[in-house]
Amino acid sequence: MPGDNRRIRGPGESQPPQLYATDEDEVPAARDPTRLRPVYARAGLLSQAKGSAYLEAGGTKVLCAVSGPRQVEGGERGGGPAGAGGETPAALRGRLLCDFRRAPFSGRRRRAPPGGSEERELALALQEALEPAVRLGRYPRAQLEVSALLLEDGGSALAAALTAAAIALADAGIEMYDLVVGCGLSRAPGPEPTWLLDPTLLEEERAAAGLTVALMPVLNQVAGLLGSGEGGPTESWAEAVRLGLEGCQRLYPVLQQCLVRAARRRGAATPP
Amino acid sequence: MAFVALSEAEKVYIVHGVQEDLRVDGRGCEDYRCVEVETDVVSNTSGSARVKLGHTDILVGVKAEMGTPKLEKPNEGYLEFFVDCSANATPEFEGRGGDDLGTEIANTLYRIFNNKSSVDLKSLCISPREHCWILYVDVLLLECGGNLFDAISIAVKAALFNTRIPRVRVLEDEEGLKDIELSDDPYDCIQLSVENVPCIVTLCKIGYRHVVDATLQEEACSLASLLVSVTSKGVVTCMRKVGKGSLDPESVFEMMETSKRVGKLLHTSLQSVLHKEESLGPKRQKVGFLG
Repeated sequence: MPGDNRRIRGPGESQPPQLYATDEDEVPAARDPTRLRPVYARAGLLSQAKGSAYLEAGGTKVLCAVSGPRQVEGGERGGGPAGAGGETPAALRGRLLCDFRRAPFSGRRRRAPPGGSEERELALALQEALEPAVRLGRYPRAQLEVSALLLEDGGSALAAALTAAAIALADAGIEMYDLVVGCGLSRAPGPEPTWLLDPTLLEEERAAAGLTVALMPVLNQVAGLLGSGEGGPTESWAEAVRLGLEGCQRLYPVLQQCLVRAARRRGAATPP
Repeated sequence: MAFVALSEAEKVYIVHGVQEDLRVDGRGCEDYRCVEVETDVVSNTSGSARVKLGHTDILVGVKAEMGTPKLEKPNEGYLEFFVDCSANATPEFEGRGGDDLGTEIANTLYRIFNNKSSVDLKSLCISPREHCWILYVDVLLLECGGNLFDAISIAVKAALFNTRIPRVRVLEDEEGLKDIELSDDPYDCIQLSVENVPCIVTLCKIGYRHVVDATLQEEACSLASLLVSVTSKGVVTCMRKVGKGSLDPESVFEMMETSKRVGKLLHTSLQSVLHKEESLGPKRQKVGFLG
């Protein structure tokens, strides 16, 4: 592998055997477009991180860890004008640094660890979706680091990472306005395209368009939106966003229970 | 993006004005600034375009080179985007400072072109599995005056309209060896159809309303924006929320409707200007950087 000098040098490029296989047209099974896969979420499992969360939805497994707040040398940024309502000036507000990584064995093809531009794009999407929820004004000159690791990609990976990151931030005790819940959608190609909620990997690969929505359920505010592909006219995308927001609202009680359980576990662990 | 110093009073002035559908320079909420487009400005490229949108200045060059097609798509060529934020645009882009913004814009461009209908990739194939055309689209950000994504997408569409790819034939002799032959006539080229190439419309949420084509000052007053990429037929190919704030679901739906309306107008005027420029022929007066 170019650039990987810790392993034995084999041929420069390698491909998985599936590429040379004869085309087996595996059509995803028909299903209820609004079904959500059962979700397993657990917070507070990593001992070295301030807050952590593990989320499993169907075949997608994500592990997220939060560390901080750590003091950062602001230096250059002097005091800017204070925001309306007496918030801290922009230069003194805390920062949220997100990192999204895929394990090399997470997808169908092996991806070498420095993932490249796709992972940076998803990390930026994570940051833009989490920033509205975190009260960064309460952590002046500090930096919070959120790192999401995708262990297995079974469809809607970004949505799962968003949800796991929000649970991890809550588990770390970071002040937030609300949790952020993510939901993935994909549009099947074909004569009557419908939007499917929470697609599996096969449905995502065969899709003509994909969308990830992030919602703050109590405040009912859209925290993040990322979608692309041949989705059709704006009415079709609007319908998809509505479906996604509904899916996020349905997922919220599961996450509430997960955080309550984690708090109870922590309470029982520390001696009174 | 570029740093702009705004006082509280100026922010309040801008926000209140926008609520009344009146912006600082007199535009309405759905009006673009005056756009200047010129194609064929760089002679060493297969196609180029320069767009000036207010204080934002973008230069795009497209180079067509031959290469091997990707393994998953052996019958198609592809596009590669690279965005360079030059240090001339703002002092923050000195050294590696502009890299993050450059990768963000390049990733957005990959996303908006990541579908079958935007560019006819099959026409870029020379011989399946062996040779294809790769279009390297290089975007240079010369000056940053707000609304980068829109200006860049207009420039990319104009540059692709201007791209002339030389016609190439693959000759096979008796032993089965393939040879590539370039046509002798330098004007014998294939032109890409840019009918379905999308343009990005960025809508910034300011107060309760949203504005199209925000200047740097207006962007500083806005916490969240929605970036929608629309084609001339109203088909949306990409949607993204940008910024640190959140959006109300109703605003999201309103912004999508606005983007469809504004996008259609943008496409019709861009097409008419590009066709008019092409009809002036090679004898037209080139303005370039001197105008």
